Amino acid sequence: MPRSWLEEKRAAALEVYEREPIPTWRRSGFWTTTLRHLRLDELEPRHYDPVDSFEALPGVVVDALNGEELSGLIVQRGASTIFTALDESLAADGVILSSLEQAVVQHPELVQQWYMKRLSPEEGKFPAASAAFWTGGAFLHVPKNLKIENPIQVVYVIDEPGTAQYAHTLGVVGEFAECYLREYCLAPDIDGQALHAGGFELYCLPGSQVKLAHLQDWGSGEVYDISTKRVEIQRDAHCGWVPIHLGGRLTKQTLDIVTAEQGSDMRHNGLYFTEGEEHLDLFSTDLHEQGNTTGDTVWKGALTGESRASYEGLIHIVAGAQNTNTYLQTHSMLLSPKAKADSIPSLIVKTDNVSASHGGTVGEIDEEQVFYMMTRGIRRREAVRILVEGYFEPVIGKLEDPPLEELVRELIAGKIAAAEEHVEEYVSQR
Amino acid sequence: MSLEIQNLHVRTEDKEILRGVNLKVEKGETHALMGPNGSGKSTLANTIMGNPNYEVTEGRILVNREEVTEADPDERARAGVFMAFQYPATIPGVSVANFLRTAVNARREEPIKVKEFGSMLRANMDLLHIDPDFTKRYLNEGFSGGEKKRAEILQLAMLKPEFAILDETDSGLDIDALRIVSDGVNALRGPEMGTLIITHYTRILQYVTPDYVHIMLNGRIVREGGRELADELEEKGYDWIREEVAAGAA
Repeated sequence: MPRSWLEEKRAAALEVYEREPIPTWRRSGFWTTTLRHLRLDELEPRHYDPVDSFEALPGVVVDALNGEELSGLIVQRGASTIFTALDESLAADGVILSSLEQAVVQHPELVQQWYMKRLSPEEGKFPAASAAFWTGGAFLHVPKNLKIENPIQVVYVIDEPGTAQYAHTLGVVGEFAECYLREYCLAPDIDGQALHAGGFELYCLPGSQVKLAHLQDWGSGEVYDISTKRVEIQRDAHCGWVPIHLGGRLTKQTLDIVTAEQGSDMRHNGLYFTEGEEHLDLFSTDLHEQGNTTGDTVWKGALTGESRASYEGLIHIVAGAQNTNTYLQTHSMLLSPKAKADSIPSLIVKTDNVSASHGGTVGEIDEEQVFYMMTRGIRRREAVRILVEGYFEPVIGKLEDPPLEELVRELIAGKIAAAEEHVEEYVSQR
Repeated sequence: MSLEIQNLHVRTEDKEILRGVNLKVEKGETHALMGPNGSGKSTLANTIMGNPNYEVTEGRILVNREEVTEADPDERARAGVFMAFQYPATIPGVSVANFLRTAVNARREEPIKVKEFGSMLRANMDLLHIDPDFTKRYLNEGFSGGEKKRAEILQLAMLKPEFAILDETDSGLDIDALRIVSDGVNALRGPEMGTLIITHYTRILQYVTPDYVHIMLNGRIVREGGRELADELEEKGYDWIREEVAAGAA
C-alpha cells in the first residue's frame, strides 16, 4: 500500500530528526540553553485509556478548569487523547473539535490543506520530533460566520515521570468567525524528567476575530518543553494572543505571529514567572508580511530563585509591507539576587514608510514604592506581592477571561509566597 | 497621647540635615511646621515614617510614649502615624480601591466587610469631591498633581490615623483644589487626631487654622508660637527669620 500524505510527511520529519544532533542554543552574551541534563533515551510515549467524565480527568486538569463553562474540551494525557467534548449545537453548526489523529481520518482534505503550512521539520531536531512522532493532537475548525461564546479548550497533561509527549494542535478559524481558543500545558509536581515537544499552528481566516491563550504550568518536576507556536492572521482578521509561562524546568519556545495579509492585526501580550532552577528561553517574532498591518506586543516577566529567563522579541517587516504600524516592549523584574534575565527587543525592517518601535528593560522592585506602601501599614512581603501583581496586571487584564485571570493571579501569588524569603532577603539587602 | 520628637539628628549619606529637632504633637492639636526649601521639613516627615534613606544618629521618636525610632514604616503606620506624601509613589496595576482595601485591612484582625468598605469609601469620596470612577484607576498613575493630593487625603480619611503629617500637601494645588483638600482635612480634624502640616507657604493655613506654628531653619526649629507667627511670617518673609536667627547667634 502506498504511503499516505501524512506518512510521507512523518517520514520526512523522521529523517531530519535522525540527522540533527541535540541542539544547544547560544546567543551573544551569557546566554546558552543546553539540553545536557535531558536524558532523552529514558523517555517514552505513554498511553492511557479514555475517561468518560470530566471528574475522572487528572486532578491538575480538573483544578485548572474548575467547572468552567466551555464550548469544547479535548484532553491529551501523555500520548493519548483521553477526553473530547463539544457543545452539541456547535457540532450541528459544523464546528469540528477532535484529536488530530481522528481528524486526519474523518476530514482528510481539510487537515491536509492546513497541516504544517507554517511549521516545518527543517526548523530543528525537536520540531522534527513532534512532526514525526505526534500522537493524539488537537484539531479545531470553526466554519465561517459562526460565533462561539465560551472557550474551546485544549489540554496537554503529563503526570508521570519518564513521559515523552509529542503534541500537535491545528486550528482553523473560518472567515468572519469568532472564537476563543485556550491551550493549557499542565503537570503536577512530578518527581523526574519528562518532555513535551509541541507544534501549534492556528490560521485566522479573513475577517475572523480570534482570542488565543496559552497557559504553561509544568509544576516543579523536571519537565522540558521545546515547542513552536505559530499564528497566521489573514486579511482584516484580528488575533489577540496571551501566552502565559508559569513553570517548567527548561522551556525553549518559538512563538511567532504573522500578519499575513492587508488589514490584519495582532495583539501579543505575554507573561512569564520563573522560580527555583527553571530556565526559560523564548523567541518571538512579529512578522508583518504585508502592508497596512498592525501589531502590539508586550511581554512581562519576573524571576525568583536561581532561575534564568530570556525573552527575545523580533519585529520583522518584510520588503513592501508599507504602512505597517507595530510596537514591541519587553520588561523583566528580578526578585532574587541569583536570578538572571535577558530582555532583547530587535527589529528587521525591509521597507520604508512604517512605524515600528521597541524597548526592553530589566528592573528590580522599586524601594520607593515599597516604602510608600509600608507607610500605609502594609507589610513588606505583602507590598512586594502587590507590586509584582500590579506589574503583571496590564498583561493579565488582556486575557479578558475572569476565570483564567483569577487562576493566573492565584498561581503567581503562590509563587511569590514560595519565594518570599528570597524576595525579602533581596529587597532588604539593597 | 502624642507624637513626640526628641533631639532628633538625621543624616543622609554624608550630610547632616536635622540637627536636634524637638516637637510634640498632642492628639486634637494642629501644628504647622514652616520653613524655606532645604530647611529639613520633609526630612523630618520622612524620618518620622521610617524612610530608609534617612539615618537617625541621635534622638528619639515616640508614638503614644512608645519608641518607634527603629521600627519599620509599616509598624509606625499601624501605631497610628500617617503621612500624606509631597510626591507619592505610583503603584501601577493596583487600583485606588484595591489599595485602600489592602491598607485598611492591614490594620485590622478581620478583613473589612465589602459593604462597610464601600459605604465608607463613598462617604469619604463625597467629602473630597472625588468622581466615582477615580477608584478604578491605578494609584497615582497618570494622576494630575491635584488628583495625587486628593488621593493622599482620601487615604488619610480611610485610615483614620491618630497622627497625620501633611507634607507640602498644598503645593501644586490651585485655589479650588486647595479649598476642597482643606475642607477635607478640617472635617477629619478633631479630638481623635493630631495634625502636623508641613508647608513652605502660609496659604493653606488660611483654610486650616493651626494651634501652634514652628519655623524650621537649617535643621532646627528656630521659632515657635501661635497662629499669629504664620501671619508675621507671611508679612515679613523667611529672610526676616534668617536675620533674627543670625542676630541671636551673634
